[in-house]
Amino acid sequence: MKLAKVVLTIFPFFWTIGMVPFANRVWPMVLGLPFLAFWLVCSIPVSLGCIWGLYQIDLKHDRDAR
Amino acid sequence: MTNQVIALGVIFLFVVGATVVGMVPGIKKKMTLEEWAVGGRSFGRLLNWFILAGEIYTAFAFLGGSGWAYARGGPTFYILGYCSIAYVVGYYVLPAMAPIGRRHGLLTQPDLVEHLYASRGLGILTACVGVAFLLPYLQLQLTGLGLIIETCSYGIITRVPAMLMAFTMVAAFVYLSGLKGVAATAVIKDIVMILAVAFFGIYLPIHFFGSVGGMFQALDAAKPGFLTVPGGTKNLDASWMMSTLVLTSLGFYMWPHLTGNSFSAKSPDVLRHNAVYLPLYQICMLFPMLVGFTALLVIVPALKTPDMAFMSLVRQVLPGWALGLVGGAGALACMIPAADLLLTTSMLFTRNIVCRALGKDLAAQSATFARVVVLALTTMALLLAIFLPNMLVNLLLTGYSGVTQFFPMIVLGLFWKSSTKIASFSGLIVGEFLVFYLMLHKLDPLAIGGLHFNAGFVALVVNMAVFLVVSMATRTPASMERKTRAIEGPGPSPAASTTLGAR
Repeated sequence: MKLAKVVLTIFPFFWTIGMVPFANRVWPMVLGLPFLAFWLVCSIPVSLGCIWGLYQIDLKHDRDAR
Repeated sequence: MTNQVIALGVIFLFVVGATVVGMVPGIKKKMTLEEWAVGGRSFGRLLNWFILAGEIYTAFAFLGGSGWAYARGGPTFYILGYCSIAYVVGYYVLPAMAPIGRRHGLLTQPDLVEHLYASRGLGILTACVGVAFLLPYLQLQLTGLGLIIETCSYGIITRVPAMLMAFTMVAAFVYLSGLKGVAATAVIKDIVMILAVAFFGIYLPIHFFGSVGGMFQALDAAKPGFLTVPGGTKNLDASWMMSTLVLTSLGFYMWPHLTGNSFSAKSPDVLRHNAVYLPLYQICMLFPMLVGFTALLVIVPALKTPDMAFMSLVRQVLPGWALGLVGGAGALACMIPAADLLLTTSMLFTRNIVCRALGKDLAAQSATFARVVVLALTTMALLLAIFLPNMLVNLLLTGYSGVTQFFPMIVLGLFWKSSTKIASFSGLIVGEFLVFYLMLHKLDPLAIGGLHFNAGFVALVVNMAVFLVVSMATRTPASMERKTRAIEGPGPSPAASTTLGAR
């Protein structure tokens, strides 16, 4: 549980910040966007998914505590 | 009817409409200070989402996002990434802050700092630093608004009367309705804004190049390398982008007005739940960039002011009603964040600087006092915007770097029991000094061994190191026990609560 929270917290940072040097290119263009822009747009669903996961874990934790 | 009249008519409709909506909550009932400043801590999920999400869509996102794309290319894309990771930080920080605020009747960020470290001096310092960075931010909104109306009226209405009119209205509804007025208008602003930027961001590239992809291909062919970092700049490279993303994501919730807004949530669950869906809003940051890139290919001759890329392109291509729509949305994007900034600045100034420095409890009078200060601050920001439009630019550039220096003090202060008052003073002072030193000596970004780091990031690293070391050196069992009480303890006794003067 604890490990899952750590991974879900770190992953958006890894995706958005850590991968910048590797995503720094124009091609291939995806959905009409240069690759770098596409990669950073993807940080939106990535963060959303990870925060959703954190929220579910915390909700379950709150329920169990009750 | 001519284009100018239609464009101005549409803008006028938006501005007056928003003002009326903003005034309604204040006219309906008389408000206490807590209701005025943090909406009586009653905001549910939807209202809280709009007010927190809407804060990122200011004049900068709208005009600056397209302007950066126009002038710098690739480095602009950092704007797409920073908020979504900022919300991960917010997921932990905001729900930790809000319950402390509720238990101890805190209304502002310096209240929180003063409470965490039991230090009046630290609270006053935080408030002074906060005001120093909020005031130019407020002025930027004014200037942006003036530019928009000037462009949309094809020069008929000049900047000064435009700013005067719009800000009289903002001051009026902040005075009457406080945060509830801001929330009500934020809903309108967000809907109008999303529709307008999404429409133009997709329509304009299609109009000229057949599709968004076609526009980017044409741009890549015309200017190879412009769509990656460092793009159209020399030193905004990958290391700059990474350090800027760290700085802006950590600093996001350190803006004083966002602390106040988080205190408005009904419960910590509202803040957690909203952190999940806030990243969605970020997609709107992409559309002004698309317009900026299109403008770069289409507008001849090149623009003197890149920030005008959005407005200029719309004016060139579309009739008056469309320009009015963009102008109206843009005007709201300036007015509503300005209202929130105005509210926060006046709270910081009255409650945390004047009242605390005099050591007086002005709880009873301070609701009126804070409102009167709203009017004074509006006048001041207007005078600055009219007579010294460039004086505060230096301060503004340091805005994000400046407020992020609160991060060790506030966030570690919330979670780390060893953090101490002396460490907060030293870290904050060292951090702010470095920010100013690096900015004023044009050392932003700072080149270290072939890499380029955002100056605010460098200052934050040093600040954090100072904070950790000094905390370890100065902590005592007594300080740690007091700290635990400040974070987890129950509310104060009735006698103590009157000195903080919330209710």
